[in-house]
Order: sequence, then C-alpha cells, then structure tokens
Amino acid sequence: MTDTMNQNGEFYRFQGASRYVLDNELAKIVNVSIALEMPLLLKGEPGTGKTMLAYAIAENLDMPLIVLNVKSSMKLVDALYQYDTLTRLNDSRFGDSNRDVSNIEEYIKMGKIGQAFVADVRTVLLIDEIDKADTDFQDDMLDVLDQMQFDIIEVDKTVGAKKRPVVIITSNAKKDLSDPFLGRCNFHHIAFPDPGMMRSIIGVHFPNLQREMIDACIATFYQLREFDGIEKKPATRELINWIRALKADPDFKISTLRKGAVPYLGVLYKKSSDLKAAAIRVAQSLM
Amino acid sequence: MFIDFFYILREKGVPITPTSFLRLHQALRMGLILSLEDLYTVARSILVKSERYFDLYDQVFAHHFKGVDLKDPDDEEITELARALLEEWLKHPEEIAAALDIDEDKLQKMTPEELLKYFFDRLKEQTEAHQGGNRWIGTGGTSPVGHSGYHPGGMRVGGVSRNKSAIKVALDRRYKDYSQEGPLTQSHMGEALKRLRRLVPVGPKDVVNVDKTIYETIRSGGEIEIVFDRRLKDRINVILMIDNGGWSMDPYIPLVQTLFDYVRAQFKDLTTYFFHNTIYDEVWLDPRRRAKPEKTVDFVSKDPETRLIIIGDASMAPYELMHTKGFIHLEKRRSRPSIEHLQFLASTFRHCVWINPEQEKWWGAWTVDIIRQIFPMYELTLDGLDKAVHHLMSRN
Repeated sequence: MTDTMNQNGEFYRFQGASRYVLDNELAKIVNVSIALEMPLLLKGEPGTGKTMLAYAIAENLDMPLIVLNVKSSMKLVDALYQYDTLTRLNDSRFGDSNRDVSNIEEYIKMGKIGQAFVADVRTVLLIDEIDKADTDFQDDMLDVLDQMQFDIIEVDKTVGAKKRPVVIITSNAKKDLSDPFLGRCNFHHIAFPDPGMMRSIIGVHFPNLQREMIDACIATFYQLREFDGIEKKPATRELINWIRALKADPDFKISTLRKGAVPYLGVLYKKSSDLKAAAIRVAQSLM
Repeated sequence: MFIDFFYILREKGVPITPTSFLRLHQALRMGLILSLEDLYTVARSILVKSERYFDLYDQVFAHHFKGVDLKDPDDEEITELARALLEEWLKHPEEIAAALDIDEDKLQKMTPEELLKYFFDRLKEQTEAHQGGNRWIGTGGTSPVGHSGYHPGGMRVGGVSRNKSAIKVALDRRYKDYSQEGPLTQSHMGEALKRLRRLVPVGPKDVVNVDKTIYETIRSGGEIEIVFDRRLKDRINVILMIDNGGWSMDPYIPLVQTLFDYVRAQFKDLTTYFFHNTIYDEVWLDPRRRAKPEKTVDFVSKDPETRLIIIGDASMAPYELMHTKGFIHLEKRRSRPSIEHLQFLASTFRHCVWINPEQEKWWGAWTVDIIRQIFPMYELTLDGLDKAVHHLMSRN
C-alpha cells in the first residue's frame, strides 16, 4: 500500500465538499494529481474558487490543511524553517528558560512547508498566490517539492516528508511561471462559472433561497459582469455577499431587480472608479 | 500510444515535454484514465501548462480523435465575417430570406444557431458552382461547416457542462479567449504592473544584523546589544518620457495613460516628462508642454543608474529627427538635430528603453529604424513589457 491509497487500498477519491461545488473535470484532475503525487497548479480569475478548492479537498479527504500565504518579500527558507537566533541569544544571556542553549534544534521552528513534512498524517498543503513571490522562490521550491525534503543548514539535518502532502498551488497571474516549475506540476485553469454552475454554488451557500430570487440575482449579476471598462469585475465572493446583503434588507423586493435597479452596488464593486462607472450604466439601463 | 497526438501538439506550438508525456502514460498505466473524457481532461492537465494553449489543445484533440479539420486562419475570418453579415441581415429579415431562398416565416422560427448552420450549408452547396467569386466564399468554404457550424461563438454561452462528450467540449473550444494575443487592454494593465514591479528591489525588512549584534555584545562584555539594520531602501529612480503630441499617438492615449497611472502608483521616485514626436533641447514636466521645460542637456547631472523609459510611436517625418531645424514648431527651432539629443540620453542612462505602443508588425516608419539603433525598442504588449523590464534590470 502506498501513500496515495487509504486503508482499504483504494485511491483517495475527492468528491466535493459541503460548501464547494465541484465540476467533474476538476474532480478528475484533483484525483489524478493525488494519484501521480504531483502538485496541482490552479490558475483562474479571482473568485473562481482556487483557494476554496484546497479547503474542500482537506475537508473531503479528512486531512489537516496547512496554508502558506506567499508574500512578495518571502524567501523559501521562511516557508521551510526558522532558526530563532534572538531567543537563543537571549537564553544564553539570561538562562531563564527550559531550553537547552547548546542544542540548536530547540531553536528551529518549522515553517509551513516544514510543518506539512513533519506531520504524522498526510496533509493538504496550500501554497496560495505563488506569483506574488519572485521567480527565485519558485525555482528554489522546485527541488523541495521534487525531493520532498530539505536541509536545515544550522544543524546539518535533512527533513523529509513523512507522508507526501497533497500540494495545491494557486496563481492569479496571467503570466506563466517558469518552465521548470510548470514541468513539475499538473495544471488547470478554472474558468468563471457559467450561470448554471453559479446556481448550484448559490444553492450550496443559501439552501433556502427562493427560486425567483436566485434567478433574478444571477440574471442581474451576469449583466453586471458584461459592463466594459471595469477593472475588477464582481466575482463569486461578491455575489454571495451581495445576496446576503439583499436578504438582510427587509425592504428589498425581487421586483426591484427585474426593473433593472441594483441596490448595494458597493458590495459588488470594490474600486471607486468601477463603482462610479457601474452606477452610471445601471442608471442608464433604468431609463 | 498517442505518439502522433504528441507530435501534432508540438508541431502546432503547444510546448510539451517528453517528461510530461511519459507522465501521461504513467497515469494510463495506473488506470486513472478510463474514457475519452478522462483522457481529454487528464492529458490537458498533465501536458498543457498554460491556459493560453487550451484552445490549441482543444483543436488538436478534436482533430486527432474525431478527424476534425485543423483550422486554417481563414476559417476564423469566415465565421467572424459570416456572423457580422448575419447580424446585419437580421435587421432586414426580408433580405436574408431572399438571399438564402427561404420563407420569411420559417426564418423567424429559426434560432441564430440554426440560421448560421443553414447559411453554412448553403455556402457548402455553393462552393462548387461559385468558382473564384467572393474570396470568403471561394476559399475553404466547406471547412467551417466541419466544426464551426456547431460553434457559433458568441451566440451561445459557453462554460462547464456536465453532459457533454470530450469531443464536443473540445469542439466547443471554450478557451478561445485565452489564446488571443495583441496589445494591452486595461484589464491587462494590472499584469503589466506586476512585471514592472520587478524593477523594485524588495529587500528584507528590519532584519537583525547577527554579525554586528555578536560584535557589539562582545564589545560590551556580554551585555546583549541587538543591532537592527534599516530596511533596504528602494533606490531605483525612473524617468518616464511620453510622446503626447501629434495625431499619430492619439489612438494610444488611453492605453499609455493607464500604464502611466499604474507606473506612477508603483514608483515613489518617478519623474514624468512630455515631448512631441521626438526630443529636442527641452522636455516638459507639464503635459501641455509650456510651463515647465527642462533642458535635455541637464539630464547629465542625474543619477546614471536611473531607468529611462520613453514611450512614443517613433513615427515622424525624417527631417524632424535628422535636421538641425527639424522641430515642427517654427518659433522653437533649435540648433542640434533631435537624433543627437536621443544619442545623448542613451549614453547618459545605460538602462533605457523605448516602448512603442504600436505593434511590432506595423513598425514601418523610417524613423523607427533609426531610433531602434539608439534605444532598444519594445512594443507595448505583455511580452514587450516583459522584455523591456528584463532589459532595464540587466546588469549591462
């Protein structure tokens, strides 16, 4: 039995989670990536559920989720481990802790990738928005993910993954990551959900919402996405928040949407220039 | 297995490595692929690493497993053209009814898809009889019916559907949008910004200087003295010079403006100058090029490490560039030809680029060639910007 199989000797099978609507295509890709032990690189415009997928996989396969939020200034070693020199220096001076100052290992803390490696159970490791970091970060990470091990230089020790984690990597960028990096990943681009898919997504989040309400909201939402000259188009997250706002408003009636008015436009458009442009377009359509 | 498929994909320009192809076979051997649908999905995920190639992949897949004709460039044109015509015709149903020899009532009942299909069928019939007539009927008239007949993009909302066969999904070519290339649009600008961000060295912040800390601690006899380094300052200076005069730049104004706004937000130390067509004795800090001139020769006193970015179409009358009295505003004629000023700037700032909002394939003007010899010139597209940034950041 290998890592990719569960106790019954079957491949892990990901089938969606309670708050995540999965299409068959993506499910297949996730399962193949797990079986091939390859990191899965997800791209797609914001709000298509790239990050949510990792949460859903963790929930569905009942594995702990470890999230590495990549930042622009991040170095790979930060994600692997940290050697806390300051605490050690402090301990050596004052000696009021239980730590053994001569043992450097006591001052090594695991970063997110390190945590995923040393965990006793198989984990889902989400490396979120890898495009934020520079290319060095990506290239350095290649070897780590390829070998599933890294060295702690300070103590000359190699940390290997006890259980190979399921690695999900997301990227917002339209530009491509470096070729060697791509070569080691499976790739999927999540397209923006079509209205039918969106209906199921709404259904998962608002199980008791009236049909007419869903119809009207989705119709309005896709109209709003058609506006040109908008820098950040409203995505799934905005739609869900917007429906929440509409539900919270006791005065709101579905007929308002049918007339073409859009209350709480600010929930959908996050940039002031977008909001202004959209407000003008909505006002025009009312006339 | 599928060796042909592999080579056709490569031939069509999808960059596939043998490693990934072997990995596909690994997936096959492990029994992960049980149907054509699986093959479509899994092979794409393993072989194709960018959504830009999804469209091409769809085409090759449909070709290889269904025998659909691979697209000639013309087909696309025909579909587009047909659709444009159709839209026009739909405004005048009588005309289309007459043209297609069809009853007007029947026409009313047809969906646009059916109509287009019908139209293509007619077109097919027509190709034999209609020799060498209209270009778009003559060439490849039959082939669009092969697949595009089912694919009147824009008339049907594409997207994820559960019940379609892989072939149909591939035929649908859902990813057509992603393969589009061309100049930057506003939505691409965020991406352009990211590429320019590479100009900014992001250093570690508030790092403890361990060496100094140890040194100072020993110096004070073991009394701990922690030394922090100041965070690395962003030292990069950028000078942007924009051609904002002349009708030839007019079409690009919104594009350049957007780029400019983003760049301004990105760099604290950014100075923008304006010029008309090319650079003479002065450039201006104000867009109207009146109030705040700055002498070009004075740039010699600026930090030579400054990155100089010039944006302009570099198209002008040759004399404007070469002649001592070239400047088109009579009252401001100068003594040195513009080309010398450009050479001067290029020698002052070793990191300099010229960004041309016109696509490279349209660079025909004589002056473009001359200026390209002075400044490395890139087009204002994602690729072009990437190359420009790369050049600006290179050591030499």
